[in-house]
Amino acid sequence: MQQPHRRRDRLTQRTEERTTMTAAWRQLPVLILLILAPCRTVSSKSVDPTTQPLVSIASQPTDTRSVVLQESVDQTTQTLVSIAPQPTDTRSFVLKGDTTFKNVELLNPVNLSLECVWTGSQNKQPSITGYWRKDGAEVQDSRVTVNLKEQQYNLTKVFSIASEENLGNYTCVFGNEFEMYFILGAPQMGEIRDKPIVSYVGDIVVLICKMDEKKPKPNTWTWYKFNGTDREEISAATDPHRYLTINDGWKTKLKVKNVSEADSGLYHCGAVYNISTSMTHVELKVITIMEPLKPFISILIEVIILVAAILIYERSRSKKKEAEANGPNAEPKNAQPQTEDNGGEKSSSVRQRKA
Amino acid sequence: MSYTLDRKMPPAPADVSGPKPLDGGWGWMVVFGAHISIGFAYSTPKALSIFFKEIQEDLGASYSEIAWISSIMLAVMYAGGPVSSMLVSRFGSRPVVMMGGLMCGVSMVTASFGSSIVYLYLCIGIIGGWGLCFNLNASLTIISKYFLAKRPLANGLAMAGSPVFLCFLAPVNQFLLGHYGWRGSLLILGGMMLNCCVAGALMRPVAQPCDPRACAPPQEVKQTNNTKSSGSCMKNVKTFVDLSFFKDQGFIIYLVGNVMFIFGAYAPIVFLSAYAISLGVEEYSAAYLLSIMGFVDMFVRPGTGLIANSKWIRPRIQYLFSFAMVFNGTFHLLCPLMTTYTLLVAYAVFFGVGFGMVFALIFECLMDLMGSQRFPSAVGLVTIIECFPMLLGPPAAGFLVDIFGDYKYLFFMCGGVITTGGLFLFVMNVYNYNRLDRASRGDDAEQNQNTTENQEQVSSSEAQMELMDPEAKETNTAQLDPEDRQETG
Repeated sequence: MQQPHRRRDRLTQRTEERTTMTAAWRQLPVLILLILAPCRTVSSKSVDPTTQPLVSIASQPTDTRSVVLQESVDQTTQTLVSIAPQPTDTRSFVLKGDTTFKNVELLNPVNLSLECVWTGSQNKQPSITGYWRKDGAEVQDSRVTVNLKEQQYNLTKVFSIASEENLGNYTCVFGNEFEMYFILGAPQMGEIRDKPIVSYVGDIVVLICKMDEKKPKPNTWTWYKFNGTDREEISAATDPHRYLTINDGWKTKLKVKNVSEADSGLYHCGAVYNISTSMTHVELKVITIMEPLKPFISILIEVIILVAAILIYERSRSKKKEAEANGPNAEPKNAQPQTEDNGGEKSSSVRQRKA
Repeated sequence: MSYTLDRKMPPAPADVSGPKPLDGGWGWMVVFGAHISIGFAYSTPKALSIFFKEIQEDLGASYSEIAWISSIMLAVMYAGGPVSSMLVSRFGSRPVVMMGGLMCGVSMVTASFGSSIVYLYLCIGIIGGWGLCFNLNASLTIISKYFLAKRPLANGLAMAGSPVFLCFLAPVNQFLLGHYGWRGSLLILGGMMLNCCVAGALMRPVAQPCDPRACAPPQEVKQTNNTKSSGSCMKNVKTFVDLSFFKDQGFIIYLVGNVMFIFGAYAPIVFLSAYAISLGVEEYSAAYLLSIMGFVDMFVRPGTGLIANSKWIRPRIQYLFSFAMVFNGTFHLLCPLMTTYTLLVAYAVFFGVGFGMVFALIFECLMDLMGSQRFPSAVGLVTIIECFPMLLGPPAAGFLVDIFGDYKYLFFMCGGVITTGGLFLFVMNVYNYNRLDRASRGDDAEQNQNTTENQEQVSSSEAQMELMDPEAKETNTAQLDPEDRQETG
């Protein structure tokens, strides 16, 4: 039988980077400016548990990336912007056409140049107003007049993505007519297990979170359990007798020993990157042995009742037949149906005399 | 067609050498019981694979280690055939099926407490496999005892249990897995398998149990060196590993064709969704293909039974069987041409049709060849021999895929083997029946009891029996000739 439920990352990466030299040259002055800016090293592999946003890191981005949405690229394309230590190149992606979006995954703080290209509607006006929105709210000072150049409108802006709060949904809007958006975030874990892991009281349970190996390796992993609205971190440190975390690159395992029903609930695992932590959750359900035992016992009773009923029915019929065989010779109407009804027992075979 | 039972004279009570098939009445309840029993037998190894991923995570085993559970279960189910035949002949079907159901239930329940892979191999694989083996063998035997005129239909209905239960068990297993985890699910599945005991209870015995005086399952009579009419029950043991079957040409032909079919039959099922995915089909749609196949199978099996029961086809049932095999094989050969999803769906439908046809007839043809007296031991022998192609087929196909990196060679191999098997059956049956017909015409003078009705209906198999062993009158035609037996026996 085929392997069931091989969960895959639905957003398969069909990366197509199209560098357009023109876009790159346009970014050059900006690039030079930024590279000359003082840089602070990107660091901090561990998350400070006391800060709210789980991320850390360098406040000054040290490189620039440029992403341009292009029509011909698929909606679900993910673009991974990974960082080399001394970034000097720019990447641009052009998106044009119908409302589409692009997922951009970032690892480190970066200056990102986002460009939207639109070929325009039926009546191409010589210039329209374009602006940017972040997470629904208009970005300040982003309104510009976009001129129709070579049959297309081009809207570009450089965003400084320094920390988690800079991540989100960036939409470029052309007048009232057209929108495209970028979703900036840390690499997401594709395989989200929709069904709970079921375990029994007293058992040892292993909860696993995996990051797609095609994506960059997380710096580390963290585990949380929600207590009502509060988030409580779990680690071997907090309760070494019960929890054991094994972080192994793209995979993390949380081993919970001696589970009890109170351990049921959602466990959140976070893949920590420089820019942010991407979270996903696993549900654990702990039940006692009684739960499956109840349906089992009911089925068992049903089986016993049916078997007994069938055997008793058969016994009573054979007794009836014996009584008839011993009694006065069977009435004619009994002989006929019995040739069909009986199970061919010995006594009945004798009866099948056809005179 | 009318089979009048027992036209000549009533059988002597002490010498009921065989049951008079009922062809109806309680027989349909028996078919229902066999349906359940066979359903569990064939669908459980496949339906268990739904739990494998969870078990794998829990016990920390690799996928191939887990997959062995199903393989061991299937292997034991088929390999235990002769033992099961022996028990059925000794005790009748009912105790054996009830025992089988009990073993299955116990196996699942104990497996639910397991914590190592080897433990699961033992519980599910071996004990569960034995239980299913008893179920399968005994159910088939009792059908042959209860039906003759409507036997193909009864067989078709009973064998339909396999796709029906698979369709039923797959979503149920999913549901259980989500609510109770794999341990609870195995526990409840064990409970469900206890329903085989209910199926067994329905299988009211037909022949009397073996008692020393008249312990004469006619296998005894069949032994060419045995002229005694009765023997001890210990002698029966020998007859079930009876190699005299191999002297029977019809049996050999059937066996070869069957082995070829089984070798190529299961690999396409295993690899169909992988093939679809490799063509770019989405995962769920690929899994859906197998459901389509199973769904079609569900209706084709009784349908084929009905067709095979008709007056035209019944005497030529072996040809229908070979046609079904060729049909199946041809579609496998055509599969590499199916590159779009619609074409794959069409392939799945035809695959289901072919598969259902073959499986509806596979045991019916053996019953037709062997007759209801020799069938129990024959089926045991057939299943243990079929064990090998069944276990070798999918890995061989997978090996081909690994070497060539292309699924089409798998389909070519499977289609080729099955089609060759079908053609072989067809040709050899034509040859064999011609030979037997000529021989039986020569024997005709001696056989003054044979009516034209017999010749019409099952002339070929009867002639074959007569040729093999003039002592034994096969009850294939539902015409007992105890007189004859007493004369020659």
